Amino acid sequence: MDPKNPINKLLDLLCFTPAGLLALVVLLVLPVVPPFNQEYLIRWLISAGLIASLSIGFDFTAGLINIVNFGYAAIMGLGGYTSAILADRLGLNPWFGMFMGALTAAILGLIIGAITLRLRGIFAACLAWFFGLALMGLATKMVWLTRGPLGMRVERLFDTASNVPYYYLILAMMVTVYVICKWVKRSRMGMAFNAIGQNMEAARTSGINPVFYRVSNFVLSCALAGWLGGFYAHFYGILTPDMMHTSKTVEILAVAYIGGRGSLWGGAAIAFPFILTMELVRSSLSNLPGLHLVIYGILLIVVMIYYPGGFAAFFDTHLRKPKNKVVNYFINGTAMENR
Amino acid sequence: MKVLETQAVTKQFGGLTAVNAVSMHINEGDIVGLIGPNGAGKTTLVNAIAGLNPPTSGEVLMFGERTTGKTPERMCRRGLSRTFQIPIPFPKMTVLENVMTAAVFGNKPGVIKDPMAHSRQMLEFVEFPIAEDTISEQLNTVQLKRLDLARALASRPKLLFLDELASGLSEGELKDIMSLIRKIQGQGITILMIEHIMQLIMSLCNRLVCIQFGTKIAEGSTEEVANDPKVTKAYLGDSADSCPPEPAPAESRPSEE
Repeated sequence: MDPKNPINKLLDLLCFTPAGLLALVVLLVLPVVPPFNQEYLIRWLISAGLIASLSIGFDFTAGLINIVNFGYAAIMGLGGYTSAILADRLGLNPWFGMFMGALTAAILGLIIGAITLRLRGIFAACLAWFFGLALMGLATKMVWLTRGPLGMRVERLFDTASNVPYYYLILAMMVTVYVICKWVKRSRMGMAFNAIGQNMEAARTSGINPVFYRVSNFVLSCALAGWLGGFYAHFYGILTPDMMHTSKTVEILAVAYIGGRGSLWGGAAIAFPFILTMELVRSSLSNLPGLHLVIYGILLIVVMIYYPGGFAAFFDTHLRKPKNKVVNYFINGTAMENR
Repeated sequence: MKVLETQAVTKQFGGLTAVNAVSMHINEGDIVGLIGPNGAGKTTLVNAIAGLNPPTSGEVLMFGERTTGKTPERMCRRGLSRTFQIPIPFPKMTVLENVMTAAVFGNKPGVIKDPMAHSRQMLEFVEFPIAEDTISEQLNTVQLKRLDLARALASRPKLLFLDELASGLSEGELKDIMSLIRKIQGQGITILMIEHIMQLIMSLCNRLVCIQFGTKIAEGSTEEVANDPKVTKAYLGDSADSCPPEPAPAESRPSEE
């Protein structure tokens, strides 16, 4: 429990608490534990991991600077399409393509951000949404490039029938996204994000240029979405414009908000049980398509009324300060800042 | 030397002229009081100068340089700082983090070597009464005002705007605030304060500017302005004698904590 212990130093560097590490280990062994060793369940786990990673990136903007990016799924889609088209037309290595996807998404993020982030939050949210719809429209109409609604076949990353390598890849990507977001949040820049998100006027009079920091935040969060979009493309092996739909953004938003706005880890923690339950609901009530969206809506309303801070706030207020020292170490680690 | 000068600053909201061609100036080292009845446009004028709500027309000069319409963050780096009438800090941050934000971003990079130590110093300076790791949502009004002041001072301003810093304070707290404002002046900081409490104005300010319905009606030394019949009339109406305006009873009442 000594902060100078190398393990604790490493945990601090990765922004993990011992409890968080344990959760990660559980996720790591999950694919060999029945009943999770079945391929279709692993696919569910992968989609949960993807949503978890996206919700971290989404929360980075929504939770820290209070801009709800309603075009998030579309920006992820842009990353996916970029990577897929580069692989398909130019024969580019998909691993490299994923980074190109991130770059394209970042550039689009910069354009949207530079236009909208001078405006108040609600306008920025609306414009990001419209950009998302426009992107989806483009993907549908530019048939010569994307094959439109017919769907575009994409080279897969691994040459195996098994989904397990994809599962470990998305976990690694999730941890990477988390660590990047957490590092930025801890930095000088993160301080500015918090200030802007909590009180714009006081932030400005304290010398913070809101446009610069909001755009930086937006660009990073879009880049992460683009990268994850690359994974989406090369995992599912097929891309349709549907993946850019606003309902996908809502799915990410619901997970991020139920997990706890501004916490970064909340969405990731809640995504696995939540998405698995949702998949169960969806598969057992397959004659009622769209029902899961209704459930998202109801859950969101309930969370916003009773627990606006989501699961993370619940955890912080009720479980964060145990009396027992060992339990306290387990939950909080030794770092000063581990929220 | 003139720290700040406004030339015919006007602020219109649609058809409403909230500030009408106000020209005034602040000399270095002064404590200037900006007075006027409620709704006269004092806060609007201050917002127009500080850049939160740029003026419709007119010019603002700080240290002789034109700063009209500069954003608040630029004004902050040029040495202008302010507190808010209703202090609204960063609610989820601790007291220390609140002040550190201004210490880090309000100064040119590298000027403050150790923002944490600097922030602690500021909290000490305003005699902040409770622990620095308190989350600032949990503070009461008096504590919030001191926190806001510490935050405003952390960017090491040359000119400080205090927007009704003393409103809602009790008699004893008023004395503390008065000595605190003197202490700030002692640091070489020029102060413009919006205030209603006459006791405070009369004992602290060496110059006063009085505005009514957005128009400046008097400017000059405290004595002069306080005895100006136009000012008295603005506060008390037509039938008043030429006595200085009395403090409004609601504002000298002790605050409820």
